[in-house]
This record gives sequence, structure tokens and C-alpha cells, in this order.
Amino acid sequence: MRWRRGRLKEEAAREIAAHIEEKVAELMEAGMPEAEARHQAAREFGNAMLIAEQSREVWSWGWLDRLGQDLRYALRGLRRDPMLMLTAGLTLATCIGANTTVFSIVNSILLRPLPYPGAERIYWVSEHLGREDEVGAGPDYYSLREENRVFEDIAAYDQTTVNWTGVEKPEQLDVAQVTASYFRVMGTQPMMGRYLSPEERGEKAPPVVVLSYAFWRSRMGSDPHAVGETILLDRVPNTIIGVMPQGFDYPNGTHIFRPLPMDEATQRPRSITRPLRSVSMLARLRAGVGPTRLATEMSQLTHNIRAEYPKEFETAGFLKEMSIHAEPVQERLTGDLRPALLVLSGAVGLVLLIACANVANLLLARAATRQKELAVRMAIGSHRRRIIQQMLTESVILALPGGLAGIAIASVMVAVLNAWKPLLLVRHPEISMDVPTLAFTVAATLVSGLIFGVAPAVAARGVNIHDALKSGGQMHGGGRGATRQSLVVAELSISLVLLIGAGLLVRSFVKLANKDLGFQAQNLLTMRVNLAGLQYAKAAGQKAFFEEVLERIKQLPMVRRATVATEIPLGDWWWLGTRLFQIAGRPPLPRAQMPRAGTVVVHRDFFRTLGIPLRNGRIFGYEDTQKSSDKIVVNEAFAREILPGENPLGQGLVVGRDASSQWTIVGVVGDIRGVALGAEPEPLIYRCTCQTDSPFETRMGVIVRTAGDPRAAIHAVEGQVFAVDRNQPVFDVKTMDERLAESLAPQRFHLVLIGTFAAIALVLAALGVYGVLSYLVTRRTREIGIRMAMGARPGEVRRLVLEESFVLAAMAVVVGLGGAWALTRYLQSMLYGVTPLDGVTFAVMPVLLVALAIMASMVPAWRASRIDPMAALREE
Amino acid sequence: MDTKTQRDLFPGALEMMILQVLRRGPMHGYALAQVIQRTSEDLLQVEEGSLYPALQRMLKAGWVTAEWGVSVRNRQVRIYKILPAGRKQLEREISSFERMLEGIARVMRPSES
Repeated sequence: MRWRRGRLKEEAAREIAAHIEEKVAELMEAGMPEAEARHQAAREFGNAMLIAEQSREVWSWGWLDRLGQDLRYALRGLRRDPMLMLTAGLTLATCIGANTTVFSIVNSILLRPLPYPGAERIYWVSEHLGREDEVGAGPDYYSLREENRVFEDIAAYDQTTVNWTGVEKPEQLDVAQVTASYFRVMGTQPMMGRYLSPEERGEKAPPVVVLSYAFWRSRMGSDPHAVGETILLDRVPNTIIGVMPQGFDYPNGTHIFRPLPMDEATQRPRSITRPLRSVSMLARLRAGVGPTRLATEMSQLTHNIRAEYPKEFETAGFLKEMSIHAEPVQERLTGDLRPALLVLSGAVGLVLLIACANVANLLLARAATRQKELAVRMAIGSHRRRIIQQMLTESVILALPGGLAGIAIASVMVAVLNAWKPLLLVRHPEISMDVPTLAFTVAATLVSGLIFGVAPAVAARGVNIHDALKSGGQMHGGGRGATRQSLVVAELSISLVLLIGAGLLVRSFVKLANKDLGFQAQNLLTMRVNLAGLQYAKAAGQKAFFEEVLERIKQLPMVRRATVATEIPLGDWWWLGTRLFQIAGRPPLPRAQMPRAGTVVVHRDFFRTLGIPLRNGRIFGYEDTQKSSDKIVVNEAFAREILPGENPLGQGLVVGRDASSQWTIVGVVGDIRGVALGAEPEPLIYRCTCQTDSPFETRMGVIVRTAGDPRAAIHAVEGQVFAVDRNQPVFDVKTMDERLAESLAPQRFHLVLIGTFAAIALVLAALGVYGVLSYLVTRRTREIGIRMAMGARPGEVRRLVLEESFVLAAMAVVVGLGGAWALTRYLQSMLYGVTPLDGVTFAVMPVLLVALAIMASMVPAWRASRIDPMAALREE
Repeated sequence: MDTKTQRDLFPGALEMMILQVLRRGPMHGYALAQVIQRTSEDLLQVEEGSLYPALQRMLKAGWVTAEWGVSVRNRQVRIYKILPAGRKQLEREISSFERMLEGIARVMRPSES
């Protein structure tokens, strides 16, 4: 093909030459002198070079050919300018790397479908019932299964823990109790053995289990004969019937799947006197059912199922605002991360924009020196459009190394993220880069190339051939100065937006970290023990166990105090029972209006061990025994919200149906931040392990205050638990400081990322300011020279330059504040204790920005003041 | 000074005229330009050079063919010859051109109602 195109090129040129010769000959025959004839022939023919080019182009592959030319030309040009390549490359590599990293996170968590067949059709079905949300009622599961017309199948499950014993080191396992339909809904096949059969269900189901792949692999050593073997769970032998496929991890971290102990007969017909079981529900949507159809169906089902409840539920307020809805399970899983990830994407996108502005400024500087070259090309017939095309090609080429390096940087960052595993991401899939990620990076690179190529290309459009050719190539059009300055203002404004965002996060973090916990977190060691076995089925057995454990722990030399409680502050608060009650001596309220409070069962030393202050009355003591009537301690939030303006001491709470079973408040203690750092304390009832005669909880937290580093006590404390009963696993062993750090993890993650982005933005903006002021100083060398010759002092000259940068920064402050005002509201869900329009942040950050701009212009200012007036005037 | 508007009076016009001239016999580029210029009595100001890209397009489309030959002044030139496909194209263009003229004429004629 090449030889043919070469021949065509030559032929076209020959033909055109022949044409002109023919014409010249003819004109000369008519008597015209040769020089004049040639002139006229050329004029009437038109631009021979352009025409030859166009003739050839008919045969070329059009744009592809032009692209090839542009590429060659661009490479040649850029090779002459290695500093530009390096600066632009580094800038872009950093920013594209950051963008790719954030996209990998977004892609791995929000975009990539869960690893189950047809995962987009797996829905989370939840109910809003009474004041409870996000759960399903047992009977409704059966009704939904029967009545719906949009789901292939529906599954119910709940989660619990069991003790795995009969092995070297007993362990607590996470269990999902599921209906047989669960596996159909998830759509996977067992890797080995089988799943639950429809008969293996309910409370009388045979003790069979399906193992997760991870459990089979790590604890069973990938035993190929695992199916059929028996494992001891809560000391009951269970038969392994199957192993889940690799990659199946829902609910996250589950070790074992077993039948859900729920029977239709105990759930339906619904009765107010029988407890309803709470279950989570998953469903597989039929293929081809759209969102509208689903929504209609769900509201229809809500209506029907509501009608199935007897009247008593309605009067009890149980059905108030009842609704059943379905959402894709992936949305449900990632709901908490979504806003933060979107904010991160936005922030990192802004950083890339700044980078583009910076590179655009570099290119503009280069374009200024290239005006003559452009003018020459135009003069010999290049179209402006063609030149713009060529310049854009050049900027895209310039972006490519940055994009490649960006991929490398991102893959390192992704590895770091996976190794560091910020707690925020623990429950989510591993971050990885895949084809969509690479596609994103390529797109980001090309788009950046086009964005920062636009400014010089537009500038090229304004090249005036005559002026450019006349001047010596030292063209500094006034308009272009303005473009460069507006780019810097844009950079500074975007930086200010990011700076304010980061500032808000810093303030949130500081507020959160300095929050008074309500207890002393230093030197606290916490762990959980899950009691399993017949001897612990009754309260007496549990009490005996924990009393002995506590006695033994207290004997340890490094231990100051020790206690047990159903909850560990800043632990999961998983079992926190919420209790509805009536205030004794008042007319009973309907269920929907009954006061409620969380209930924690604690050992009498709980308050002293944690250092929770007593506000009023007394705390539990040795006088509180099983024989005395039930005494409780409440927190301040309880007193404030449930008994406002009253003396809580001596008040009774009616907790059962029977008005005779009452709890009496004997003390009020300070609020603690138990659930999470950011959550406001809720009303809480403390009961004493010393009083209750019903089994409290088998899953207790042991809390130990040590004399020194709590980590040093771990082994000894665990040893004391094992000394009492070798078969009770100890787990979730953490110091309170670690729990504190965990509860700050999301904020820390946001802060680190946004902070990094803001820092990159600031460095880039500073470089931008430096660049543009250096340029302005160069441009004004002569003016400054004259000023100095007229007697201006170096200080005045410096001020001149600094003023220039101050004006730019001031404009940026106005724009940036506006931008921040419009954008920080999206940070809302990430903030704590500051409003998105926090005055302090909005006041301090602009000052910081202006200071930075002034600092960045120090060097150009100093350089301006060192200009030698004589040399400046001789120049040009 | 956009070369495009100057090359084409309307899209395809130059090609149509070239085909029309070539129907009478093979001709080289310079002669083609002269004939078109002369027969239009200089009403059409066609930049002579613009013939060549058009000729290349027509070569590519297979309407004409070209061979190197010798001009009257004994100069190496390319002589263009119309091909059957070119004739067909010309007929199509003429009829659509006439339809267009007729349409324009109807619009321009004073209203008959």
C-alpha cells in the first residue's frame, strides 16, 4: 500500500507541475513575459501545495493518516522539551494515579456486581414495622413467599454464633441460619456435597451444617473427605453435608450455614401473644421484572399482608406506617459507604482538574514561543482546524506517560490499601484493578489531555499571521496573560474548596477524638467469652462461672479491677436489648408510645472499673441480691428524656404484662458513648448480674483495668478464663484504645484521603502561582527596568509582584468560597459536630490560601527586584 | 477564504461539469480547466487547482480513468477518460439537477393564485 501511495503523491505533484507549465507556455505564446506568466499561472491555479495535499488525501485513510502525521510531529516537538514532559508527566501521574485509586475503590465496592450468578437480581427485602426497621417478621416471610408474583424465590435467615469445641483451641464461629431457599436465591452450586434440603428446616431440623469455603480451607485443612464428618457445635455433634463454593461470602464472614429454627406453625396464624421471629430476607427477582412493576407489587403486598394481621396488632401500634420494600442487596451492603465514596471521587476529580490547569499553563508558555512556527504553517496553507487538531494530539501524547505512570502508582496504592485494610473497607470486597479500571484510566488520561490542550489550541486560533511573522518570535499577547491568570485563579479556587473540605474533616475528627467518652479509656483490656454448654443454661451456672473468673483475674498483679457486662463500650453493642416499659403509677400507654431504653446487664463493679461517675443515688453493691426486689441504675439520658424534671430515684418501671414485676431506679450514672463515638447517648437501663435470676446472656464482655499496658495482661487474663473452663473460647480481645481507634476509622480514612488530595492540590496551585508570576515578571522585565531606572526601590518592585499575586488569590477566595458553599453540603454525612458551612473553617482556609499564594510568589518577586535596569532596557 | 465554497458551487457541481466535458472525449487536466472556464464564459470562477482533488475523488470512485500521455505541446500529462459508471453518474446528476432547478424555479416564479 505504501509504495502505491508514494507513487500517487509523486503523480499528483507531476500533474500539477505540468498544468502550470502548460499555462505558462500558453500565456507566453500570447506574448506575456515569462516572469509575469508564471506569476499569473500560479495565482489562477491556487495554492499548489495545498491542492497537491488535498489530491493525495483523497487516497489516504483520512483522519488516520493525519493522526499519524500529528503523532510524529508531536513526538518530535516534545522530545525537544524534556522539562515539559517531566513536569507534566509527574503532575499527571500523581493525579491520574490518585483518580485511578479512588476509582478502583468505587469500582470494587459500588460498581462491580457481587460474585453470584445474576447478582443484580438478588434483592434485600425489609419491613418497616412499628418502630423497628430493616427486619422482616417471621410470618410475613411465609406470606411473601406465597403471595408474591415477582420473585423466583425468597429466603429468610438470621445470624448467631456458636462455640466450636472438641478441638485444640475452642473457637467461636459465625453462623447463618437459613431456609433451604437461601441457596437458590444466591444462585450458587455447592463446591462439595449438597445444600440444605427443603425438609431440613425448622426447630426440629437434623443437626446438619454447610461449611464456608474459607472455614473448610483454613480450619479443616481443605479436607477432601470433610462431607459426612462431624463437628461439635455448642457441644452438639453436627454432620457436615456440604461446602460452599470459593468466593461465597454472604453474610460477610459466615463460617457455617445451618437450618433456620423457625416453623410456619409457630408463626402463623399471627397472634399478639406469641413472639414473632425477626428474620432478614433475600429474594431473587424474576427475569424481566422492572423497577416500576416491583414497586407496585411491593405496595400491593404491604397492603395484603397488613390485612392478615389481627386487629390487636393495629391497636398496639405495631402496624403503624408498615411497609415492605425491596432494594438490590448490593445497594444495601454499600449504602453506608456510598456518600463518602462519591465525595472522594468528586474531590479527586477536582485535583485532576487542577493538574490540567497547571499543564495547560505550561503549554501556554510553550505556545507563546511557538507562535511563529504556527504562523508559518498557516501562511503556507495549513487550516486552523488542522493546527488545533495537531495541538490537541500533542497534548494527548503529553498526557500518555502520566497515565501510564498513574496506573503504576494506583496499583501500588491499591496494594497498600489492601494491606492496611482500613476498617471502613473490611466488610467489603478486596480492592482490585480490572479492565473497567484500566478503561477509566485511559479515558481520564485522554480527557485530561483534551482539557489541558484546549487552552493553547484556542490561543493558537487567535494567532495573527502578519504580527507573528513580523515580530522576532517574542510574542506575549495580552490576552494570553489573562488566560493564564484565570487558569491560576481557577486552580486556587478549586484548592480552596478542597482545603475547606479537608478543614471541615479535620475539625470533625478533632471534635470526635476529643469527645468525652464518659469513662476512662486508658488501661482497659476487653474481651468476650461465649458460654456454651448445659451447665451454663441457667443463671446460677453463668454467675458461678463469671464470679470465679473475676476472682481469679483480680488476683493477677497487673490487674486493678475487673468486671463483666453484656456489652463492651465501643464494642458492637450487638445484643443490646431494647425494652419497652411503662412508668409505674401512670396510666398505661399504647405500645407505639411506650418509652423504651436499651438494657445492659452488668456486674456490680462495672461503674467503678470503667470510671463512670455516679450522678445521683447509688450504684450496685453487695446488698443487691437475688432476694431483694429488682433495682436498676439508669443513665442521665434516661433521666433527661424519659423522666424530665422529675426525681428519677425510687421511680418504678413496669416491664412485663404483670404490673407486679417492677424495676426500681436506685441510681443515675453519667452517660457514656457506648455505641459509637459520634452517636448521642441513648436512654440506658443497667441491671445487675447479682439480681437477675433469668439467664442474662451467654455472650459476655470481660473488662479489666490494668496497672500498665493492657496488652501485656492479655495472656494472663485469657489464662484465667481457660483455667475455669478450658472449653470456653475467648475472642474479640482488644484494648479500649484499639476500640477507640476503630471507631474513628471511617473519619480517619476520609481525612487521610481528602487531606492528601488537598495537599496535592495546594502544591499544584502553588506551582501554578509561581509559574504564572514568573511569566508575568519576564513579560514586564522592561517595564520593571524602566521603573527601576526611574528610581523605584527593590522593595517596591517586590511589592508590585506580590500585589499581583494577592489580587489573583483574592479573586480565587471569592470564587472558592462560593464553590465551597455550594459543595460542602455533600460532606454532611462525614461531618461530626461542625456544620458544612462552619465559620471557622471558612474564615481560616482563605487566609491560608492567600498566604500560600504570596509565598509562592516570593521567588519571582525577588527575581524582579534583582533586575538590572540597564540590561532590561537593552533587551529587545 | 474557505476553499471549500470556492471548489463546489454546490456539492457535486464540479464533478458534474467535468463528467459532462469528458463525455465528449478524453482530455487532460489543464485542457479540462480551460474548457470549463471558456464554455461558462468566465461566469464560473473556478480555481483551476480545485479540479485536481475532484479528479482524484472521481478516479477513486471509478467514474473516470487516467493514463499518462502527451499534450499538444509535447508535455507529459495525465489524460482522463470517462467510464460507464461515470456516464451513469452523470445521468443521475443531470436529472436530479434538473429537478432541483425546476423546484427553485417554481418557488421563484410569482404566485399563480
